[in-house]
Amino acid sequence: MPIAMISALYSVPVSLGVNRVIKGARIEHVCGNPALGSERDRAYRLQVVRTALQSLTRAISTPLLLDPTQEAT
Amino acid sequence: MIEQKGPIRVVHYLNQFFAGLGGEEKANLSVEVRSDALGPGRLLNQLLGTTGRVVATIVGGDNYVGERSDDAARTIEDALRSLQPDLLIAGPAFDAGRYGVACALATRIAGDLGILAVTGMHPENPGVTLPHGDAPIVPTGASAAEMRSALEAMARIGGKIARGEELGPAAAEGYLPRGRRRPGLRKEPGHRRAISMLEDRLAGRAFLTELPVRPIEQIVPAAPIAALGRATVALVTTGGLVPKGNPDRLVAAGATEYLRYNVAGLDALSAADWDCVHRGFYTAIVKQNPNYILPLDIVNDLHRTGEIGGVYPWIFTTSGVGTADRESRRMGQAIGQELRNTRVDGVLLVAT
Repeated sequence: MPIAMISALYSVPVSLGVNRVIKGARIEHVCGNPALGSERDRAYRLQVVRTALQSLTRAISTPLLLDPTQEAT
Repeated sequence: MIEQKGPIRVVHYLNQFFAGLGGEEKANLSVEVRSDALGPGRLLNQLLGTTGRVVATIVGGDNYVGERSDDAARTIEDALRSLQPDLLIAGPAFDAGRYGVACALATRIAGDLGILAVTGMHPENPGVTLPHGDAPIVPTGASAAEMRSALEAMARIGGKIARGEELGPAAAEGYLPRGRRRPGLRKEPGHRRAISMLEDRLAGRAFLTELPVRPIEQIVPAAPIAALGRATVALVTTGGLVPKGNPDRLVAAGATEYLRYNVAGLDALSAADWDCVHRGFYTAIVKQNPNYILPLDIVNDLHRTGEIGGVYPWIFTTSGVGTADRESRRMGQAIGQELRNTRVDGVLLVAT
């Protein structure tokens, strides 16, 4: 059962060997960004969650660190 | 190695809180340089006595350094280049995770510039696992009540390395082992030491191994989900999410338990019905929108459109701050076991 970890302080799970790490926004709001305004925030939140979900479908042999803003979702 | 003619010039790295600039609300402060000792730096000055002097303090907001580490690194590097201290002392960070991570960054940069450094933090602080140059790490407890003894050790060890003196073994000097072994002579031959150790072990007495064996944790990646559209996904958070009123009394830090709540039929987490008790970050934003630490609303939307097959109705929550390593493992295993017993295909885990 694969697990995708979404974290703003992603260097920590990466250094601990977590296999699927997704970069979150900020420590105070990991899965979103209220500063974007509600429409763009929603789009961003979909990006984050979709990136995390897609990582669950990828076969990997070494740890993966994904930036939702760089991934096609 | 420095020939010390005068007092050692020390630069002190502190976070916004210990520098006296504010608490969580100032965690986004960018890196600043102040030309004197701040907060515990004053005590550090006293402890250094005539052997050293804090010539400047570099202050970094914990969130800024964590989230904009490239920018923070640049400012710290510029500061150290221009100040050219004999020694950088970072922290002590105790069990503050972001602060420990920042101290590791500062000492790593110092190391890259050839500047000696020492830091201090709890052995389970995530900063310990990050690259930190060659800087010895003084192990501390979790609480800043130990500031004096931590600074004493850091000043002592820092002074030694700044004067070019060799540090003794980690246990003797009081720093976390760096995995280095030096040839030397012991009083007793090896076979006697081994038997003595075995006798102690068999009698249940404490003994000190000469060769700690620490396996590197490599977690075999789980096989991927074949099709998201047929998959059920579970949500877990370490953000300290609780129903309003915290009926089951989830602790704000040092958690040894996790809680599970049924969210079947719930569209999203509302500010009216949910709360956040995590002590380790500024929680006002998450209190207004709890979906930021457990994106139930988004996951439900994706379920409605068929992008995922199902949403597991139980969510798991704990407060991921000051969590002991073994408690984290135990809770993780328990949650994992519970999810394996159901028809969950994958998990989203949200941490800070």
